[in-house]
Amino acid sequence: MNILFLHDAFPAQFGRLALELVRRRGWSCRFLTQSLSSCPTPTSEMLEALEIRQIPLAAEHRSSEGIPWPQIQGHFLEQCQAVAEAARGSPWPRPDLVVAHGGRGAPTVFLRETLDCPIVVYCEYYFATHRRDISYRIDLPPAEPALFFPRCINAPTLAALVDCDAGYSATAWQRETFPARFHHKIKVYFDGIDADLYAPGPSSRRIGGVTIPEGARVVTFVSRGLESIRGFDLFMKAAKRIAAARPDVVFIVAGGEEIHYGWDKLHTGQPSFKQWVLSQDQYDLSRFAFLGRVSPEQLAEVLRMSDLHIYLTAPFVLSWSMLNAMASGCVVLASDVGPVREVIEPGVNGLVEPLFDTDRLVKTALQVLGDLGAYSPLAAAARRTVLDRYSVETCIPPLGDFLERVAGGAK
Amino acid sequence: MAQDPLHVLWIEPGFPGRLGGVADWLTRLRGYRSWFYCHTAAPRAYWPVSVGRGLEVETFGVGGAARDPAVAWTRTLERGLCYAYGCWEVLEKRRPQPIDLIVGRSSGLGSTLFTPVLYPSAPVASYLDYYYAPHQHDLADEAGPETPPSYYYWRRSMGAIDLLDLEQASLGWTSTAWQRGLYPTEYQPDIEVFPDGIDTDLFLVSPWHARGVGPRVIAGRTIPPGARVVSFVARTLDRLRGFDRFFELARKLLAARPDVICVAAGDPIVRRGLDVTFHNQDYFAHLKANHRAVDLDRFWMLGMVPPRTVAELLAASDLHVAPGRNYPVARSMLEAMGSGCVVLASDTPPHREQLKPGRTGLLVDGRDEGALVETALKVLADRAAYQAIGEEAAAAILETHSRDVCLPRLAERFTRLVETREARR
Repeated sequence: MNILFLHDAFPAQFGRLALELVRRRGWSCRFLTQSLSSCPTPTSEMLEALEIRQIPLAAEHRSSEGIPWPQIQGHFLEQCQAVAEAARGSPWPRPDLVVAHGGRGAPTVFLRETLDCPIVVYCEYYFATHRRDISYRIDLPPAEPALFFPRCINAPTLAALVDCDAGYSATAWQRETFPARFHHKIKVYFDGIDADLYAPGPSSRRIGGVTIPEGARVVTFVSRGLESIRGFDLFMKAAKRIAAARPDVVFIVAGGEEIHYGWDKLHTGQPSFKQWVLSQDQYDLSRFAFLGRVSPEQLAEVLRMSDLHIYLTAPFVLSWSMLNAMASGCVVLASDVGPVREVIEPGVNGLVEPLFDTDRLVKTALQVLGDLGAYSPLAAAARRTVLDRYSVETCIPPLGDFLERVAGGAK
Repeated sequence: MAQDPLHVLWIEPGFPGRLGGVADWLTRLRGYRSWFYCHTAAPRAYWPVSVGRGLEVETFGVGGAARDPAVAWTRTLERGLCYAYGCWEVLEKRRPQPIDLIVGRSSGLGSTLFTPVLYPSAPVASYLDYYYAPHQHDLADEAGPETPPSYYYWRRSMGAIDLLDLEQASLGWTSTAWQRGLYPTEYQPDIEVFPDGIDTDLFLVSPWHARGVGPRVIAGRTIPPGARVVSFVARTLDRLRGFDRFFELARKLLAARPDVICVAAGDPIVRRGLDVTFHNQDYFAHLKANHRAVDLDRFWMLGMVPPRTVAELLAASDLHVAPGRNYPVARSMLEAMGSGCVVLASDTPPHREQLKPGRTGLLVDGRDEGALVETALKVLADRAAYQAIGEEAAAAILETHSRDVCLPRLAERFTRLVETREARR
């Protein structure tokens, strides 16, 4: 089968999936994309096995960075047009199936003008107007677009949903964010954690030029961007008190300073949420290792040395990093929100506390750090959860079957 | 079923637009208190009587892309958001209170989109006009192979604002089943059909239609005795409403019968963006320049006229022609039927929904110029033979499309909506 994957970045959600489909099923997987991503970085194996074409950008193309919110939709439509034109001019054979991201980078809206094959959209998320995602952190100074942008951000998502043959979400929680009228179209298929790479094992206890002292406890925090939606500021609050309570704790923080979601720049008036957070309080930075963006291999190494992984997301798309941590056998302490609860059963395969309750977060973290052995069953159960429900080995076969069914005309 | 008085915020790009008449009726006859927010208001001659008597009209400005006379197709949604934001800005300053219900018609401009920021508990009823099919209906049915891909991209992108409106609305509402059927199947169960009706006090069977007696006066001009009047009415005289077809038909009728006078009412400037070729142009001037001349002594162009003048025209009409493309039925066709006119319409699904061929009107293929001319000449030659059609049309309209029939149902629905706060989110 020939699959054409469409996403504004590569590999993003599809690179690993496509590689597995090539390996396991011998399918041809091709990509039209706008940029090669550095998070995660494409592997050499991906670059060899997959055909990738970058979409030529129109002369008047603008980056979406800094565009006023009402203009974002026009930017999106220009992207869609570029994709449709690229597909029209492509020398590749007609695909049997198109698999595309259904959100802002949703490139499928004009594709029916060019291709006559079934279209599957990856239904990552449907934004809410309140009490979730970018509208959740009402504790931060208000940002002007917060009243308006969430009420129009879903336009491309809706257009893609109306037009597609089928869709899939990575988790049931994500699917539930979509309007109920579309649930019949959206199945739940997780796309798979590499449980071989993210696995418990001996650690060098050296990372990014930092050597972890013998006997030190390691607390990890990972996020693509260190931003409010992933609770970086709340982590730092808790970390400060953990550091004060235990002089043997080292904090390893992986993540860039880019803001991917919401209005942290407007909330804070500063380009880096991380720097703003650090400027709000006194931290003993000798206890923190900020690694910036890391490769999957480095991330695996970070997680192998973790004694406690803290994950403080707002109700939003579950980060791969939490599942990576669970696969690595970490004890995970996470915010008690819907997407986390779908995976973590508190006291069984992880721990949860209310997102804003620093007292309880600190207390629970100190309990874990004070008696690692007592919590090791949670870590083992976390890995089992990933192996049973979220690993590449478990997830790719049903997802591949689903794609095959849609390509064959079933939905 | 209760039809309680409600405080309603009405929002539409123009006033009175589509909702003005509805707001007027509900204000006068059901005790509503109405605030009508619009970007542009028509001259006062077009305003309904309840303005200043329970119905207050406020205008809002727009910024950004909405100020440009035309924008690239990719910026259509942005333009709509600018309208919605402009409306929100004025609402935020004036804050009319209390608001039980918000009724909006975005008309592609998303005007109610941000109102829940100010009125989170008020349900929103969105009037929906038209969902674009990429390759079907309106003028797309005639798009040739030379049509650029961007035309279809544009059409595919135009529904986004309606989808946002539908997601936000507690009630989606449209006038005909045909219009509802245009929307994606996922949304159709949540769209209810409520014809908003016509003013049957104004558009009623005239002495000319009832008994064949005059005098007949249209916009101050007296129709000579024995003349046959062929009428055409549209908000704008464009191809969507079949003005090109009417123009050709008129030329043939004027040539065939010296007693015929053709009268067109409507703005000669094409206002609908759907006609990309002639948008913002004077289409009548184009037709005159590119075709053989028409006898302007017997082809009367009234321009844009108030409803009372339209009523005069329809009251005097011997044949009303509605040769439009596949597009939501023009209110003027229903007004013509209500006035007792013999209506000759193009045979399209939206017209078939309103008109029973041979009983309440006549349908022919709008593309078949010969059939239009032949049928029109038959009617004009033997008016009496077709009078029953006009009578039955008027009776049907009174029964199904009078505001006094339609709007009590809508008032009941609005009351129920407010009572149950049918917020979907």
